[in-house]
Amino acid sequence: MMLSVTNLTLSAGEQAGAKAGAKAVAVLRDITLSVARGRVLGLVGESGAGKSMVGRLIAGHTPRGFAVTRGQVMFDGRDLLQLAAAERRKLLGRRIAFIPQEPLSSLNPVMTIGQTFDEHLMLLGVASGERAAAIVNHLAAVHLPRPEAMVRRYPHELSGGQCQRVLIAMAFASDPALLIADEPTTALDVVSQTHILALLKEQQRLHQTAVLLITHDLRLAAHVCDEIAVLYAGEQVERGAAREVLGQPCHPYTRALQAANPDVHGSQRQLPALAGQMPGISALSAIAGCRFFARCPQALAACGSEPQLLREVTTGHWVRCAPGCATNPAPVAGDDLQSAAWSAPVGDWNSPPLVELQEVTLSYTARWGAFGQRKLVSHAVNKLSLRIQPGEFVGIVGESGSGKSSIARLIVGAEAPTAGRINIAGRERIPGDATVARLSRECVQMIFQDPHSALNPRRSVYRLLTQAYELDHTAGSLARKTRPERGAELLADVGLPADALSRYPAQLSGGQKQRVNIGRALCVMPRLLVADEIVSGLDVSVQAQILNLLLELGRRANVALLLISHDLSVVRYLCSRVMVMQAGSIVEEGKTEEVFARPQHPYTQLLLRSVPPADPSIAWPPAPGQKP
Amino acid sequence: MSALAAGAAERGLLGAGRLLGQPRILVGGGILLLVALAALLATWIAPHDPLEQDLLHMLSPPMWADGGEAAFPLGTDSLGRCVLSRAIYGARVALIVGIMSALGAMLIGSTLALLGGYFGGRIDRAIGYVVDLWMSFPPVVLSLILLVGVGTGVDKVILAVVLVDWTRFCRVVRADVLVTRRRDYVLAARLIGFSHLRTLLTEVLPAVTPLIITLFSIEMGVAIIVEATLSFIGLSVPPDVTTWGQMLADARGDIQSALWVMLVPVCAIIVTVLGCNLLGDGLRVALDPRLRQRGE
Repeated sequence: MMLSVTNLTLSAGEQAGAKAGAKAVAVLRDITLSVARGRVLGLVGESGAGKSMVGRLIAGHTPRGFAVTRGQVMFDGRDLLQLAAAERRKLLGRRIAFIPQEPLSSLNPVMTIGQTFDEHLMLLGVASGERAAAIVNHLAAVHLPRPEAMVRRYPHELSGGQCQRVLIAMAFASDPALLIADEPTTALDVVSQTHILALLKEQQRLHQTAVLLITHDLRLAAHVCDEIAVLYAGEQVERGAAREVLGQPCHPYTRALQAANPDVHGSQRQLPALAGQMPGISALSAIAGCRFFARCPQALAACGSEPQLLREVTTGHWVRCAPGCATNPAPVAGDDLQSAAWSAPVGDWNSPPLVELQEVTLSYTARWGAFGQRKLVSHAVNKLSLRIQPGEFVGIVGESGSGKSSIARLIVGAEAPTAGRINIAGRERIPGDATVARLSRECVQMIFQDPHSALNPRRSVYRLLTQAYELDHTAGSLARKTRPERGAELLADVGLPADALSRYPAQLSGGQKQRVNIGRALCVMPRLLVADEIVSGLDVSVQAQILNLLLELGRRANVALLLISHDLSVVRYLCSRVMVMQAGSIVEEGKTEEVFARPQHPYTQLLLRSVPPADPSIAWPPAPGQKP
Repeated sequence: MSALAAGAAERGLLGAGRLLGQPRILVGGGILLLVALAALLATWIAPHDPLEQDLLHMLSPPMWADGGEAAFPLGTDSLGRCVLSRAIYGARVALIVGIMSALGAMLIGSTLALLGGYFGGRIDRAIGYVVDLWMSFPPVVLSLILLVGVGTGVDKVILAVVLVDWTRFCRVVRADVLVTRRRDYVLAARLIGFSHLRTLLTEVLPAVTPLIITLFSIEMGVAIIVEATLSFIGLSVPPDVTTWGQMLADARGDIQSALWVMLVPVCAIIVTVLGCNLLGDGLRVALDPRLRQRGE
């Protein structure tokens, strides 16, 4: 075994997280995992599960206040925890390499790729005469085009995917025995994610490296890894061969995680969403038994008081669950709904369209030169037409930079089109026309991407939800109810607890903030919600809650939804119609099921191939040589 | 909505507790409070009239030194005026100049910063050019020209400080407005139908208020120093007004024989300005949510 971690327990002392005087909390409890030479181990979990902490521990970057209280971390026959700091540092960057999450911020912006690489090779002890040629070789190995020219370029001249390729080349330059990749593709587009993962696999096979891949995406891990360990609140809940964990998950959490991910292919089903959220570090000390107990759909009374042990279900497949449950899994909550007739809201096609864009262009002009005489016009949106019917759920998919967010800003009126017409509820919106502007505000509202930035930290939930009441002349639909009435109503609509009204955004979790965000948009009872990437920052189980909330609101209040997302599975789950955008234009449009089953445009086909399939037996990602 | 009221009250209490938990705020605020008390109660606590000359007691040393008298605790200057009394009365002008100039600079600078940062484009560029041009004037020359032109007096000094220092507010606050302007909640307020003015006042201004308060207290210190400098060169106030700067100017001639006459106003200035800076720095930490979390 290249790396083997046994019974590792990491405790937070009195300084970190918990209040003074609290007893030490096991942030990681009894973690056991191992990676052999040439194998890939996936460490899967939602944010806060402790997966990055494992990576930091191996690197020796344990945050202040945390200490290993039990267990060992063996690397190539030596216990890393017993090594002197200097000894350990000698291993890092040479025998143990890292690939970071943010490729752009991991490269020094004032040094060229060649200089950064040269410095790295110098530390590795490569003779100065051989370095220039070695750099070109290493860059060529990661399929970077024209490596000779790449050496002279600065990080900002490269795309995120190219930066990540450079970092992968640097990581493999020392021919490491162990590679730790912490969310290496999270910051990248779907298409570059596929390329990077394929490259990582290729290099790993070539160098016979042991890889620890840390990711939040269970499906992705199942395809890229040989083995998977699933973490929940610092506890390892399941470990086994990748195909087996994804194919026959035994722990209720793994199954919930697997089921909460919508599919791109196959039959549609209602997503079962786990209630609540993962406990934070400060809440851990109060949990005596299984840490998943509070959210477990099949919890037994004993689970609440006794921690479960890892049990071997089949050879090499370990599950931390009660003996009966693990082998005879009860159906996941919501399984009964799966068979029920299910479809995304189609909308009313007999009425006139709610929103209509006719040949709309949005272009930006960049001027430079001493007198601004030279200019460059770039089209964010290029002669685009679309219509949204009342009650319809429409999706727009595309990579970042395809202009999808510009469409959202155009429809809500945050941006005026350079050319073309925008009709809201049959009336054209002309800049400066206050009547239409008010009409369109009552008709179209926006849900923002980042709930953290979208909520004023100085407003309470009550004042956020009912902010529209602060207008001098409240709109017709608002005047019918008083502000406190509407506040309580909205709170119930978005499924927040009653005591949340007086809280401030800082006291809410990410999912709760997104609920407030939705509630504020609903306050004026709009007929269309524009949602720009609203679930991309959320964990899978919370994402399922929000998606189901939107579906329910759509059915109950007959609100239409324009969902803008890079995640095709989310779009398929919510939307009856989909538009695929590339470079400011719609390249394909149609009923979601038809587009996803028989994509016509090569770009749509490319996007669909970039999604890891739910079936673990299908080979993914495609090899880097062939164009996916 | 009693729960809401309770929540708000609790938040207010927590806020007060947080402010008092900062040692810098306690020390800085304490110093300024003492100076303010001295200024307010000057008529009662000062042993003499600050302009009363006792020609029999010229340059007498402090009471604890040889030849000192209890009637003049900190001695007298070359015209036989009580140094302690003059220092106490000097606090009046110092505080008035400090508060009024900081207030003026804050109002002009912050308003322009809010307008420029929020609306951007041409307005922002125009304000930016004015600030650049303004800052390229040597500040002392600007004040001198002004005071020579309009004459001396406390109000003229305040005007001079405001006209020089509003640019500081404008620059710093504008940067913060730009950051806040890009937060989605500002766009959200606009989409709900808030007017520009309302959005500025309810969404943007509260976010930059901590910075403005901090700058205000630092600006007070700067204004006190500027006033002392202008008094020192004799261009600030008429001779019958007592200020720390004038005490410095008067003591200049006797610096060899009577150092204490010089030291008293110097200490008064140092301690007061230190109080302003400590308070400003403490407020910056206490009011900034990011620094607050790190401190905990």
